[in-house]
Amino acid sequence: MKKFAITVLSFWLIAVMLGRLFGLNPNSIDLNAILSTPSAAYWLGADDLGRSILARLLRGVEVSFVVATVVTVVTMTIGVLVGLIAGFYGGKIDQFLMKITDIFLAFPGILLAIAFAAVLGPGLVNLTIALSMTGWVSYARLTRGQTLALRYRQHVLAAESLGATVPRLIFRHILPLLASILVVEATYSLASVMIAEASLSFLGLGIQAPNASWGAMLRDGVRYMLVAPHYVLIVGLSLMSLILAINLGGDYLRDKLDVRTEK
Amino acid sequence: MRGLTLLKPTLLAIVLVICFSVANGSATSSEPTSHGREIIFAIGQMPLNLDPRYATDAASERVNRLIYQSLVDFDQHSRPTPSLASWLVLSNREFQFTLKAKRSAFNTPTKIRSTFLNARDVKATYDSFTNLADSPHAAEFSNIQEIVVLNDDTLIFKLKKDDANFPTKLLIGILPAALVEKNHDFSHHPVGSGSIQLLDWGNKLTLQRVKDGQRISLLEVKDPTVRVLKLLHGEVDLLQGELPSELIQHLESKSEITLKNSVGANFSYLGLNMQDPILQSLKVRQAIAHAIDRETIIAKVMTRQTRLASAILPPEHYTNHKSALPAYDYNPKRARRLLLEAGVQLPLKLVYKTSTDAQRVRLATIMQAQMAEAGIDLEIRSLDWGTFFADVKQGNFQLYGLTWVGIKTPEIYRKVFGSDSFPPHGFNRGRFSDASLDQLLVVENWPAVTKRIHAQLPYIPLWYEGQFAAMRNNIIHFTPKTDGNWDDLAKITYRKVH
Repeated sequence: MKKFAITVLSFWLIAVMLGRLFGLNPNSIDLNAILSTPSAAYWLGADDLGRSILARLLRGVEVSFVVATVVTVVTMTIGVLVGLIAGFYGGKIDQFLMKITDIFLAFPGILLAIAFAAVLGPGLVNLTIALSMTGWVSYARLTRGQTLALRYRQHVLAAESLGATVPRLIFRHILPLLASILVVEATYSLASVMIAEASLSFLGLGIQAPNASWGAMLRDGVRYMLVAPHYVLIVGLSLMSLILAINLGGDYLRDKLDVRTEK
Repeated sequence: MRGLTLLKPTLLAIVLVICFSVANGSATSSEPTSHGREIIFAIGQMPLNLDPRYATDAASERVNRLIYQSLVDFDQHSRPTPSLASWLVLSNREFQFTLKAKRSAFNTPTKIRSTFLNARDVKATYDSFTNLADSPHAAEFSNIQEIVVLNDDTLIFKLKKDDANFPTKLLIGILPAALVEKNHDFSHHPVGSGSIQLLDWGNKLTLQRVKDGQRISLLEVKDPTVRVLKLLHGEVDLLQGELPSELIQHLESKSEITLKNSVGANFSYLGLNMQDPILQSLKVRQAIAHAIDRETIIAKVMTRQTRLASAILPPEHYTNHKSALPAYDYNPKRARRLLLEAGVQLPLKLVYKTSTDAQRVRLATIMQAQMAEAGIDLEIRSLDWGTFFADVKQGNFQLYGLTWVGIKTPEIYRKVFGSDSFPPHGFNRGRFSDASLDQLLVVENWPAVTKRIHAQLPYIPLWYEGQFAAMRNNIIHFTPKTDGNWDDLAKITYRKVH
């Protein structure tokens, strides 16, 4: 499990770097190679515009990594801040912040992202904003629950009685204890953001042509499934392997960071 | 325990009865009837409205052509020809129509007495437009002052203003006067005198041919791949258009499928915003025209028999007989030079709006790559249909791509390029204003109009996409038409193969 996750993730990271190193052009159109099968010129075949599937796959995973990382950082920052404030102060502040969280939580995340993406318009930046607007909720809930538990621990109360400021209490005495849980949550979030990005691009609300995206490639691949099945299979298997690797990596981290299960 | 033992056979019996009835139900669709087996036609979009006074979508208009009869139709050169009636021009404000002696009766439901179509039905149909403020065709007939019925066969249309082309507008299917007076719901329960009548409109739209009772069902299958799979598996018998060329080639390789092609007349183009400071320059527009390699696009990604276009109306149209215009050739060097002469700094950044339709995005991406060689940096924005079309109508674009479908009359030039046809008064979405063209439009010198538009390039003409139909081998007497109509459903036949 651990080996699979590390191998797949390393493979994609190295592949992206090599793709950049060899200057593969994912947007180079060759109308004579439309939907061609794998060959010496096109290792994984060509798409419906005669573009190298390999080059587009590598650029697509790069986009996925960038979007997933940015969205995860943004959502984690917002969610953790909201959760820390709500859990630390409690009372009306907690109620107010959690009401907002509940409103976001009540609506299916991907549907909300689709609505935001449709309103903001398609594109990489708007896609990132749309996903960030919906992804912070789970961090807020998680952080708030943990903060409520940690708020009255002995070491926090001791620091408070010694005159520590609120930011110091939060960032020095509470946040470090949440780190392991947040890291595991972030790993799962990476996978779900990647799927969300692919879904929005599949619907035409994500990355715009001619830029490569796995979701858009899947959409095109499905369209030519009868005449070029290799296209959709390659993209589908790539997406599946990467998401599986990230999720398995998350499981590994959870087991590793959980003191109860550590051997 | 005894109850349980009784329950088991009962349940088994119920399951068997359900299975039997389901199997029986599914068999009825393919069972031969006394009139032959039902023919199933897979379409991408179901008709929306079967009242000819409201219908605007292509599928509805194609079905309405079969259900209803109109006074006028067009010949192969798009000249207006008598359909239900011949006409006499009394003046540019008065047109006398005489219905043909041999006419059909309305295909009315069994509860209603069937009557033969007469002049009062024609009057009732066109008079009804005065009460239909929400009809998209109402403006077309607002020029009618009065319709005078002389007898069962003859009537006179009197107009408020001169309109020599008035007969070309009388394409609306004729409705029975008795039902028009009762505000009958023709949208869902059409009653016409055409060769086909509606039987049922549920998950599929079932039609019946009047002369022999042959049933034809229209089944909506949005996804092109699923449409092809259903045809290959024999779940549907026929499909027409709306497939990528690769899937058509795939069908060609199948022995159980017959493919028929014909040239098309639907005009694809790039619309330009003539109020954009950069696109106001003729040299920039010419540069864009020279930056697109249409021939390669047609050869590689379009259906067979797709033709280069140079005007909205195709070469066989009667207005084009003496003025065949050359298409703008692909010449990126010349395009670049024209841009520099226009004083544009390269790369020229332009935004191209299109719908999210996969084929549209595909074509846009090819044009983007071709234009890059000419120094044009084309940004593609694919938007959902509603947003995209709203932007086009509001003039909120630099470039956009669309297709004119089913255009027959040269009047279109006035509606699309006339200075007085800016939306909402017409379709001049690019806000093109040209005094010379306006003068030519007034005198209706159509060859000169076509040349002027071709020279000024408010549209960049692309192509007329070829038409095709794919059918199971046992389907005969169906051929695709240039405008994509389904008129051959009136004679399509299922042939038993032994």
